[in-house]
Amino acid sequence: MSAKPGIPRNSLIWLLVAQVLVILPHLTHLPVWIIGLWLGCASWRVQIFRMRARYPRSWLKALLMIGAGFGVYFSRGSLVGLEAGVVLLIAAFILKLVEMSTRRDALVLIFLGFFAVVTSYLFEDSLLAGLYSLLPVTALLAAMIGLQQSSLVTRPWPTVRLAGSLLLQAVPLMLVLFLFFPRLPPLWSLPQAADRGVTGLADHMAPGDIARLGRSAELAFRVSFEGEIPSRDQLYWRAVTFERFDGRRWSQSYASHLPQAPEWQAVGEPLGYSVVMQPSGQPWLFALDVAQVAPGQAQLMTDFHLQRRQPVNQPLMYQVTSWLDARREAVSAPESLGRALQLPERGNPRSRAWAAELRRTAQEPQAMVDALLKHFNRQPYHYTLEPPPVGDDIVDDFLFETRSGFCAHYAGAMTFVLRAAGIPARVVAGYQGGELNPAGNYLSVHQFDAHAWVEYWVAERGWVSVDPTFQVAPERVEQGLEQALARERSFLADQPMSLLRYRDIGWVNALRLRWDSLNYGWQRWVLNYQGEQQAQALQRWFGKLDGQALGLALVAVLALLTAVLALVLFKPWRRETDPQQRLFKRFEQLLGRHGVRRNRGEGARSFADRAAIMLPEQAPAILAFVRLYETQRYAEQAAVADDLSRALRQLRRALPWRFPRPRERS
Amino acid sequence: MRLLPRFRDRWLLRRIPPASSVRLNQRRIFIMPTSVGLAFMVALLLMLLTAINYQNSLAYGLTFLLGSLYLVTILHTWRNLAGLVLQAGGTTAAFVGEQALLRVRLESRGRAYQAVALGWPASGLRLVDVPAGGTVEVELSLATSRRGWLRPGRVRVESRFPLGLLVAWSWIDLELAALVYPQPSIAERPQGDSAPETEDEGTLARGAGVDDYQGLRAWQPGDPRRRLHWKAYSRGQGLLVKDFASLLGNDPMLDFDGFEGDTEQRLSMLCHWVVELSEKQQPFALRLPAGVLGPDSGESHRDACLRALALHGLDEERGV
Repeated sequence: MSAKPGIPRNSLIWLLVAQVLVILPHLTHLPVWIIGLWLGCASWRVQIFRMRARYPRSWLKALLMIGAGFGVYFSRGSLVGLEAGVVLLIAAFILKLVEMSTRRDALVLIFLGFFAVVTSYLFEDSLLAGLYSLLPVTALLAAMIGLQQSSLVTRPWPTVRLAGSLLLQAVPLMLVLFLFFPRLPPLWSLPQAADRGVTGLADHMAPGDIARLGRSAELAFRVSFEGEIPSRDQLYWRAVTFERFDGRRWSQSYASHLPQAPEWQAVGEPLGYSVVMQPSGQPWLFALDVAQVAPGQAQLMTDFHLQRRQPVNQPLMYQVTSWLDARREAVSAPESLGRALQLPERGNPRSRAWAAELRRTAQEPQAMVDALLKHFNRQPYHYTLEPPPVGDDIVDDFLFETRSGFCAHYAGAMTFVLRAAGIPARVVAGYQGGELNPAGNYLSVHQFDAHAWVEYWVAERGWVSVDPTFQVAPERVEQGLEQALARERSFLADQPMSLLRYRDIGWVNALRLRWDSLNYGWQRWVLNYQGEQQAQALQRWFGKLDGQALGLALVAVLALLTAVLALVLFKPWRRETDPQQRLFKRFEQLLGRHGVRRNRGEGARSFADRAAIMLPEQAPAILAFVRLYETQRYAEQAAVADDLSRALRQLRRALPWRFPRPRERS
Repeated sequence: MRLLPRFRDRWLLRRIPPASSVRLNQRRIFIMPTSVGLAFMVALLLMLLTAINYQNSLAYGLTFLLGSLYLVTILHTWRNLAGLVLQAGGTTAAFVGEQALLRVRLESRGRAYQAVALGWPASGLRLVDVPAGGTVEVELSLATSRRGWLRPGRVRVESRFPLGLLVAWSWIDLELAALVYPQPSIAERPQGDSAPETEDEGTLARGAGVDDYQGLRAWQPGDPRRRLHWKAYSRGQGLLVKDFASLLGNDPMLDFDGFEGDTEQRLSMLCHWVVELSEKQQPFALRLPAGVLGPDSGESHRDACLRALALHGLDEERGV
């Protein structure tokens, strides 16, 4: 073994394969020049292996490193943070390939590879991504095995088969560790992956915004109910409220960030469910009104939306209890109502005039609302994802000119008119409905379910929700967006690949629902198996476990599994099972300790004769044993193992307790 | 601090007694992480920190998978030695300063063994693969520094297969021993001595090369002037002497007492002459304080003489 052993061909092949497999899932968030860098470095490395090129000199290595650093800086705008860090990691992973000349370098590369696989999970942790990552891990292991100097590992396939079987054998232990290993809270905060291409509701709403979401088939969240799933027209998932209007767009008011619990009274039966939401990049959670979650998970804000401290940047699971019929702020604070009456100084004169006129005929707020809803119902309003453009007075133009729009148009216009008539009102943004998955009995809510509706305040009743879109397109609420847009064919027009478009084809749909259910299970049981979830699951399965019992259980199960694996690997039952043979082997060992070793191919009889000569004092015992063995073995005499072992015991007693010095010179 | 190795040796002696054939079993195999294994653990720790800080279940999963792999590898590394049978093979004698060769047979009575390293850490380990149910012979070489029996002691047998994260090893004493002859050193043979007449006249008469002209060699101080090759000298070829085998007509006697110097020097000189005369197939006798060998010629005589020289004055003279 020389001091700096080189890298065998087989290992190099698997390293190159592993590198492709490691980098592939990173491509969605890597700058394009990385691909060029990889192609260059890989071909350079192959040329080095073929002795057609030399290792780079140190100045060139330094230049490449600095170049990569600049590349990261220019494409990510920084050298720190998760995005830049990952690009740097991958760049180092690639550059190390060229520089690598010894086994030690190869090991560094392999460890970097494992770490790169871990970082890929921070960007994508779906079931598919998890399964995929087994490929690069296997290839990295094969490269590691390939570094060994054995004839077996000079062939690629046995190497990767061995890697695969090692991984398979590790799986049971991994599952145990995964279940029992205590989950710690983050030790220090780290930059999160912001670049996940998050779509969803924003903290403001211009008329076209929700329509844009209507074209997206991405999943927003999934809900499992403890009891029966409520009817579809009750499923108004609140995210945020928009209380400020500047003439063009609606946005959250400063007050909705105040951590001040509003006043409300529970009415009716509570409804329990759990939500697993996709990363939204926003701090709010989705729930039905009025919602309660575990303290610490989120807080109910003054406008009844649930808000977390940090934005939701990874899938999040939470338990909610909702009171659908709760009375909210029956006696409201004046400042809260003041915010719900805010309007810009000028603009939309026709709407304001119309509001005043309506208010004259309808004194009560409820009558006013009814009149508005009737107006939307009777007049030729049109529900569309592609509304015609409007001018500066967006409410006027929508109400009296174009008369076609999406839910945001209707909710915005209605709130404007109510406020102009002196009734406190606000726009609520969230999702409506959801798709029932019979395979898993849960609801999937997609981005195209994004919706906006209105709530207004009436003395003593408090805040009341109303959905103007229902008057225009009741099928939107009753059946969903696709039916509401059946004539328009604009549903998911931008996503031809989405399986949701092929819901009509029975087996495709069944397959899609099954796959979705699998992913949901993955999220609930695997991705969210953290802290609270783990404690709950363990308690459900094993009753109450404290830390010490948990540790003991972990060690015990690990030991048990290792023992089982050892049995499978060593196959001790393949050893001598024949009792006579076993006794004969002990006989052989006994004599061997006294310097008489059986030669290969030497028969029992001749061995015993030889032993009798070398140990004349014990000759009778030796011969007695062998005679018994022979008769039992070959003379078809009934085998009584007891006799044979008794003969062996006698021989052992006959032999001196202290045997001669083991080293005997001839 | 000599205490620790001595304690270890005594412990090993009890645990793995010397034998010419040893089968490695659970009592005889030790296992420890290698430096690569320690680096791997550090990498795992980093992954675990990432998993904790990002609360990422998949990162936890991969960390646990690789951690479990580590545990599984313990079994595999261990298994790659378990059941292997090592047997002492033959040895080849060497002169001091040369490499002594010791052979070890590795035998598999079941599966194949990959990348088994064998040898002494000081002189480097040899790597071999043992096929399933087959036997492989490894030739280990060892530098020699003094004459006598070279007992290298326990051989280290180790394996890092399959991942190099762990090393399983054993120290086994196969009672290997190689004979080391003294280093030959050139010296003039004292004149006038000859082997005693033996009854076996035939042996003496067989000295067919008496007065046979053997060739020329460089003159050394002490060579008789009578045999100088003047013709060559006149041609400018330097001083050469005509070398005659069995010039004296009798088989030469190599006498320990006839040489000058201390014991080791004398043994070296004798060794030179034993080799020299054996190469010329000239019968000779060797007289050592312990007795006389020969006169005789041939391989076995040569080996007996060299063995006697190697073991002269050592209490291991009886050999192994």
